[in-house]
Amino acid sequence: MKILLAEDDFASRKFMDKQLSRYGECDVMVDGEEAVDAFMMALEDGEPYDLACLDVMMPVMDGYQVLKAIRDIEAQKGIPKSKRVKVIMTTALNDERNVKMAFELGCEAYAGKPIDVEKFEKVLKKLGLI
Amino acid sequence: MAEEFNTESMLDIFLYESGQLLEKLEGIILEKQDADCFDDDDINEIFRVMHTIKGSSGVLMYENITKVTHKLEDVFYYLRESHPDDVPHMELVEKVLAVSDFVTGELDKLKNGETPDGDEKQLVEDLDEFLGRLKGEITKQGIQMPQANKHVEPTQFYITPVAGDDSHFYRISIHYRSDTQMSNLRAYSATYALKEVAEDLLYTPDDILSNEASADVIVAEGFHMLLQTKSSKEEVIALIDSSEAEEINFDELSKEEYGRALSEFGREEAEPAAAAPAATKDENNKEAKKEGPKPGDYVVKTKEAGKGKTLAKNQPKQQSIISVNVEKMDALMDLIGELVIAEAVVLQNPDLKVPGLELSNFQKASGQLSKITTELQEVIMSMRMMPLTNTFQKMRRIVFDVSRKLGKDIELEVIGENTEVDKNIIEHITDPLMHLVRNSVDHGIEENPEDRTSIGKPAKGKITLEAKNEGGKVYISVKDDGKGLSKEKLYQKALDKGLIENKAMSEFTEKEIFRFITLPGFSTKEEVTEYSGRGVGMDVVVKNIQSISGRLDISSVEFEGSEMTLVIPLTLAIINGIVVQVGNSPFVIETASIKEFVRVGEDSLISEPSGEEYIVLRGECYPFIRLNQRYDLPDSIDKIEEGIIVVLEHEGSQVCVLIDKLLQEQEIVVKPIPSYVRKVKGLSGCTQLGDGSIALILDIAGLLMHDGERR
Repeated sequence: MKILLAEDDFASRKFMDKQLSRYGECDVMVDGEEAVDAFMMALEDGEPYDLACLDVMMPVMDGYQVLKAIRDIEAQKGIPKSKRVKVIMTTALNDERNVKMAFELGCEAYAGKPIDVEKFEKVLKKLGLI
Repeated sequence: MAEEFNTESMLDIFLYESGQLLEKLEGIILEKQDADCFDDDDINEIFRVMHTIKGSSGVLMYENITKVTHKLEDVFYYLRESHPDDVPHMELVEKVLAVSDFVTGELDKLKNGETPDGDEKQLVEDLDEFLGRLKGEITKQGIQMPQANKHVEPTQFYITPVAGDDSHFYRISIHYRSDTQMSNLRAYSATYALKEVAEDLLYTPDDILSNEASADVIVAEGFHMLLQTKSSKEEVIALIDSSEAEEINFDELSKEEYGRALSEFGREEAEPAAAAPAATKDENNKEAKKEGPKPGDYVVKTKEAGKGKTLAKNQPKQQSIISVNVEKMDALMDLIGELVIAEAVVLQNPDLKVPGLELSNFQKASGQLSKITTELQEVIMSMRMMPLTNTFQKMRRIVFDVSRKLGKDIELEVIGENTEVDKNIIEHITDPLMHLVRNSVDHGIEENPEDRTSIGKPAKGKITLEAKNEGGKVYISVKDDGKGLSKEKLYQKALDKGLIENKAMSEFTEKEIFRFITLPGFSTKEEVTEYSGRGVGMDVVVKNIQSISGRLDISSVEFEGSEMTLVIPLTLAIINGIVVQVGNSPFVIETASIKEFVRVGEDSLISEPSGEEYIVLRGECYPFIRLNQRYDLPDSIDKIEEGIIVVLEHEGSQVCVLIDKLLQEQEIVVKPIPSYVRKVKGLSGCTQLGDGSIALILDIAGLLMHDGERR
């Protein structure tokens, strides 16, 4: 599967990259805008991502903005709900409000950091990715 | 602000809510354990509790809890749908308690930071067996088997962070030999090595890569790091290159010490902005929390070279929530009200008006005081805020019950149930809201689905319950897509019942006609049903809402549906008001209801022979009230060109009052008029002003009503 990883922090990025590479090809972006660009590019090349892991606190655009942008682009292109990229937010912001907002913006899962790798894999299974 | 104190993590909220639900559940069970069976309400309630816990544990992926609650939910689903007789009550009670104990046990594990790993198999098997017998019983009694309980798998998941319990906290100081070359690069390689294992890493000096001069600082003062990691001391030491180091100090800290050390680190920085991104994050958070987070609140400033970045936010393990007696909260609220008054008394003290006083220090100190009292107000307000979730939950029940009883197929959509309002207000709006919802189900939605389909509406009726927060007011609306209000019918009815003057229908505005239904003794439905239509109702709704200074807006299109909106101030006790003077008496007018202040000449005044007076402003005619005459105030201005006209508005109607002069604008603590004073129309309360005098608060609705009656 094709994975988009947006994470500005080096150590987290290294960790996530290592984890995600087990499941598929993983593209790594360091800020929010790049993530949207990469998403757009993949879409236009006809090879959209299956999974996007978005950090929240990032330069240029934060993860919530990226999520919103992705969902907006998908809506505009008329991509059906089942074909949308699965989005997992990865962040240390675990307030209920933040989580609720992300759910409302349309992410599939919200993973609090430090990430529970086992549960993360379970979610990937539930989302039908692996 | 309100939300600042509502930052519990998902897990805390889950634990708290589930705990509360289980408590409620046990309450029901224990109360009914000796009865013969559960009644419908209990069954619904238990079903709902299980359904909620099942749903939220599903999102958080505690599968054993989900499985168990799911099974029990099934059991109660069949009980609810089929009402079989001869349910072995005692056994059922035991089952429910077993599930409750199991879930409580798992929640306790979560609270202690353990994994909820209880084995649910036995319990699920027991429940399955029980459910099997129950189904057999249902078939035997010849009751139709309901459709299987539909389970919606959660589509969104929340992965709880791994418990931060096993993290260690270290303070590491490296002192290099004084002849060490490029000590900054050595320090960098140490931080690089530690990043492998770090959950959080902060170091000083923080410009080791970008600033060569930092090498000297490191040699002179040492290089200091704060590290949060899961690795042991030995593992961490092994990672640090100690070849040139003269001395490495290695302290393990407790979490609290670590927190303190973090803030010390922050203070050591030359500029606070550079105190690691943690600080920026906090600021962002604070701002974000004021209005609830929004996308874009968490954009990180581009990292400056070499600055350490916090990886994971330090999280207090569990925020504890305590319940407080509402009376104590009310008392605190009152005290803060008194404090605001006392503050005004001090700050506007007449003694300060002595000419020639040097007050600059006083002004500074008073500015600080005002700031703190304002913050205090905000905190107490936020403590009293509660989401409307429970209230809306009740409405779901009502729609469910009433629509089933009446045989109508109705769908309820709920929007914004997390909107927060003052607890006092919640208490006041529950009944009115219940009434509105019942009305919508009963009168709003058509009796026969054919009446709907014939005009192109879906057979299933829809009611939308929506709450939102806007500009210091809460809007709660009940919308249905039913038949709507018929203006002709309303008018005819009001006329027949003698509730309105004999005027042609065209003389009333649409709004006025809709408002007829709030008149006492008005009910358009011919027969009275069990749920609504006794003719007491809408007037009571309006009265209740007005008692908390809210209003009811009605809009409707015939055949398309109606919308009833409650507009309520966010909070009751402290308002922004303008103090005015009439004669020797000060009055307070709520700032929000003032449209304008004008001075007009005698020629704008129209006097009717009956004594009524009107003011014409820009071609519009407004009723005019002289406060001095209304309340018999001596020594006041009688000529309108000498006084000031205030145009007031309430629910779309305007009225002008004459006052002598404006005094000031300030925060007003609303106090009820003491019971030993007779209720006076047009006054809603009183307050104490800075100079200690009492000012009366004008009630615009009351003034208008009084005016109407006089006419």
